[in-house]
Amino acid sequence: MKELQELARTLLSSGTVKVVFGWEEGPRGARPAFITDAANAGRLVFDHRCSHTLATYLSPRRPHMTRLGKAAIVVKGCDARAVAGLLREAQVKREDVVIIGVRCGGVAADPADAGPLTAENVAERCPGCTAREPHLADHMVGETKPEPPGAPTRDARIAELDAMSAPERWAFWQAELARCIRCNACREVCPMCFCERCVADKTQPQWLESSPHPRGNFAWHVTRALHQAGRCADCGECARACPAGIPLGLLNRKIAGIVADRFDYRATDDPSVPAPIGAFSVSDRQEFIL
Amino acid sequence: MIAKTITAEELGALVADLVSAGTRVIAPARAADGKVDYRAITRFEEAAIGAELPRRSLKEFFLPPTEPLFSWHQGKGDVTVKPVAVSFPPHVVLGARPCDAAAVEILDRVMGWDYRDELWFGRREATTIVSVACPGVDGSCFCTATGGGPDSKRGSDLMMVPVDGGYLVEAVTPKGQAFVGAHAARFVDAADAGTTAAAEAFRTGVRSRVAEHLTLSLPALRRWLEGSFDHELWRAIVLRCHGCGACASVCPTCHCFDIVDEPEGVRAGTRRRNWDTCQTARFTVHASGHNPRADQNARFRQRVLHKFSIYPGRFGEVLCTGCGRCARACPGGMDLPEVLKTITALVGTGASREAAV
Repeated sequence: MKELQELARTLLSSGTVKVVFGWEEGPRGARPAFITDAANAGRLVFDHRCSHTLATYLSPRRPHMTRLGKAAIVVKGCDARAVAGLLREAQVKREDVVIIGVRCGGVAADPADAGPLTAENVAERCPGCTAREPHLADHMVGETKPEPPGAPTRDARIAELDAMSAPERWAFWQAELARCIRCNACREVCPMCFCERCVADKTQPQWLESSPHPRGNFAWHVTRALHQAGRCADCGECARACPAGIPLGLLNRKIAGIVADRFDYRATDDPSVPAPIGAFSVSDRQEFIL
Repeated sequence: MIAKTITAEELGALVADLVSAGTRVIAPARAADGKVDYRAITRFEEAAIGAELPRRSLKEFFLPPTEPLFSWHQGKGDVTVKPVAVSFPPHVVLGARPCDAAAVEILDRVMGWDYRDELWFGRREATTIVSVACPGVDGSCFCTATGGGPDSKRGSDLMMVPVDGGYLVEAVTPKGQAFVGAHAARFVDAADAGTTAAAEAFRTGVRSRVAEHLTLSLPALRRWLEGSFDHELWRAIVLRCHGCGACASVCPTCHCFDIVDEPEGVRAGTRRRNWDTCQTARFTVHASGHNPRADQNARFRQRVLHKFSIYPGRFGEVLCTGCGRCARACPGGMDLPEVLKTITALVGTGASREAAV
């Protein structure tokens, strides 16, 4: 913690950056913090409650953030994938952000969870995580932490869904998506949902019905999941933000599996690896072309 | 005032009576993922009364997230408009939180203001709200600071207070009295002095515990807000806000809606109203592309202003019952009670207009 605070203090007082995105103690556990004054660097914390992905705050379409000036951002391994996504898709320039990597031992699903981390409270993306130390970092801080506790993974849940008959699976998603109230929290917290104007907000024509009825909800969630194909950083923010508790991560994870199978692409914090949506290879499978 | 008691067993039988008579019973109950929502139950055993605060408030039973206003069909040379029904079958909400019940009554003001919202009041009239005094949720509760309380009777037709083996029941409104009258066999007359004292101790205990979280001077808060539109505070505290609107969707009093026409084929369609929120950029964007609330600072300020300045200005009371759901739901860690505490500190130092930039 001291190491992180010291680094932030140096970056700010030397003028290298104008703001450090990290986490601080809030009224309900850890929460995002934006330190602009070196004197406040001591507020920064990093522990298992730092579940949030701060990469979303790098979005160029947040004028109240971009006017703060050049930023340093604290990233866990999963967050680094999101930053890499923004670099890969030319939303952020590498020289415009200083990346501080932290070694992670898993985070709680709820940032207010004082812990300790167990199979019950760990975030669903953490068990079995292979990205506990970001590669995309200008500075690395902290010591290697123990592995996150084992828990049933989303892949196991997806296997259960895959084993269902189509009508059963349809019934499962009907029940889950029926709770959606179209608040768009999933989109707003997503680091990769950075469109200036989302297709769901277009009204002339209205491509997607904005009403939270089954038709509108399916249209929205299927569209979002497909727009995330080969792009989703698997940071878990959509599911964490959903006030209705819809397991949105399952949709993105399922598609990530298909993308891995067909294009041999997995979300990575190496921004030089092209995402399948933006690359063509003669070895791409194309048996679907008649 | 009628004070009665009801045992848990008789309450279960009452639910069975209601359900068999065709009344829809809404209660806090576990969803498939183990969390608690207000939802229709058919058996008392499904209810999770006094468990954690339901994820969303009661407002959706009066203002659903989406509802049709009318549908149309275009024939040869004419258009047929089919209105929706504005009368509703009887509903009973059992185990409402006082913060949720109060919110419904606060919203009656705006729903009956420049025109009477038939759908809102149709549902209001069809519904009897039975609240249960709240044991408190966590440190984000601040109902007492907004003029309510964990045992506030506001908005409730009946108020239950948990006592050993059942509930002490008080009929608050004529509708509540009629309800007790109609189901008289399930209730017994007021409890002994010991039980009444225990109920009173429960109420005052929770009330004083919640009151420790936050104290507000609502008039001073309003004065500060009215003079501090450009205050530095709005810039400083809003950075972590994603503008996602999760706060508004779980809020018992946020009630803004959008009206959309949805075609169903070429010659027919439905006009619907859907929940909307001032926290998104799209809420205020003009047809020209200009957005008077250009950034999140302005949008968050709007939410605080509407609740603690604009609504009291028009209706004489704040548009917040202190349930704390906004703080609990926020993925970015925004915290309304903390913001109100910060403003209260600024009021204390007189730092309103003077500190504005």
